Amino acid sequence: MSINNNMIEVAESYLSGSLPEADLKELNSRLASDVSFANEFHECVNLVRSLEGNGKQKRFRAMLRDVHEKQNAVPVKKTRLINFTPQSWRTAAVAASVAILTSTITIWSLKPSIKKTDSQYSTISREVEHIKRVQAGQQAEQNKLRDIISKNTKAAPPSDVRYTGTGFALTNDGYFVTAYHVIGSDFDSVYIQTHDGQYYKAFLLNYSKENDIAILKVEKKNFHFGKGELPYTFASSKVGLGAHIFTLGYPKEDLVYSEGYISSKNGYQGNEQQYTLQLPAGHGQSGSPVVDENGDILGLLTAISSQAEANTYAVSSKAMISLLHTSTANDISSHLPKVNRLGKLSGAEQVEKMEAYTFSVKVYKK
Amino acid sequence: MVQSPVNNEHHLLAALAAGDRTATEQIYQQHFKIVNGWLIKNGGTSADAADVFQEAMVVLFGKAENEDFRLTCSIGTYLFAVSKRLWYKKLQRQSRDPVSLKYDTEGEEDEYGVAHEEDINVHHEREVHYEQLNTALDQIGEPCRSLLKAFYHNDKSMQEIAADFGYTNPENAKTQKYKCLTRLRKLFYGVQAK
Repeated sequence: MSINNNMIEVAESYLSGSLPEADLKELNSRLASDVSFANEFHECVNLVRSLEGNGKQKRFRAMLRDVHEKQNAVPVKKTRLINFTPQSWRTAAVAASVAILTSTITIWSLKPSIKKTDSQYSTISREVEHIKRVQAGQQAEQNKLRDIISKNTKAAPPSDVRYTGTGFALTNDGYFVTAYHVIGSDFDSVYIQTHDGQYYKAFLLNYSKENDIAILKVEKKNFHFGKGELPYTFASSKVGLGAHIFTLGYPKEDLVYSEGYISSKNGYQGNEQQYTLQLPAGHGQSGSPVVDENGDILGLLTAISSQAEANTYAVSSKAMISLLHTSTANDISSHLPKVNRLGKLSGAEQVEKMEAYTFSVKVYKK
Repeated sequence: MVQSPVNNEHHLLAALAAGDRTATEQIYQQHFKIVNGWLIKNGGTSADAADVFQEAMVVLFGKAENEDFRLTCSIGTYLFAVSKRLWYKKLQRQSRDPVSLKYDTEGEEDEYGVAHEEDINVHHEREVHYEQLNTALDQIGEPCRSLLKAFYHNDKSMQEIAADFGYTNPENAKTQKYKCLTRLRKLFYGVQAK
């Protein structure tokens, strides 16, 4: 027997008790006489034992979860964590592809007054169909979700995702804004997924269908988006042509930065509550903040023009603020951040500071 | 293994250690409810209860695997006591203010309290060890990572692995497995001079 060459193999047989008696004898005498060999051999034994123990434990844990699920068939909904199985993505995608057939026409419309030229104006929330298209790229995300599932098997899966958009904070304690059409009128529940992957449930406070603004709040008590107050402030009046702007949004599972400028003072068909931007934007970026170089929020993205490339429309922050004033129950407008901490920073630093306050909004249908 | 429902706690533990499903189900059925009820009264949710109880089951599993292990109390008492400890620990980790969490001092717990504390510590050390092992496994590179996981975590036979990984026969797969183990050993224990 050449123990040195295949020490691990010997260790394995030794552990399972299948080492022939002659070999065992030789091994024992070697272990007794050669200290450095004994150390190495024990290392091998420990390694194999740990691997086997770890595997056994993993299988035992999996069985426990299964037993638990079978015995507690109606799981109690736990926290705000949403679990997705890959299967449910698929189901959602299939459901969405049916939905998209029936809703293609309505997606284009934003409000009745622009019906005639609907086809030029497309809101940019992201239907689940898009998720399907980029599904390959999201394999990693799915694996991540699967990991979450394995750790949290008990939370009930939510109903299917309908739209995703982007939202950003109005105050650090949970008030935020997104485009109204992301939420829609027949949603079941709204969750945000923050940049660190956490899900939080939110509820709708106020909205303006006409201006495509929705104000929501995270349900969780003592919730904070980030460590400090918001780094940005809100422009109270409209800004002139040519101002350089950028936006952060979630057209996919990762945060995306894009930049451009204000190309026209008013929006679609001269809408004074809007800006027209020269800015590439895609589905899922509805509700994204439009920020100028000084770190002032100028508005939020609402729609793109299907006619002119990279023509994007944004609802002005002025319209947002006037909606806040009409929110009777909570006067959020007085809590809006007053100190701008982005102004002196470089572009990349501004983005970094904003990351915690910009998040994906996921809307689940009934 | 055991035809009729296991009714003796000693046998039940032996079956548990062997990963027997019936035994696990029986223990779960008998003892989860009380832990669940207690946890909800003490600031937890049913989901927390499932977490904590399953962790306690794993602690028990780890102990039961040891051949000369004998429980000094009933399985139910043990699981309840360990669950309590685990939950207090979890609360303490979450809270900055451990003072506000008072340990309950019911006599039945104190009697075995120290022993359970020791069991939990051993359990945590083992978890850390396994964690490190898994990290090493993740760093080892393919095909070793998948091969070793298939064998140790998913309990696949060398025949299955040979088929899945495209080795001409189980012997070749086995040779590869030992190569992988040698590499893992170096990674895990650090390179040791031969």
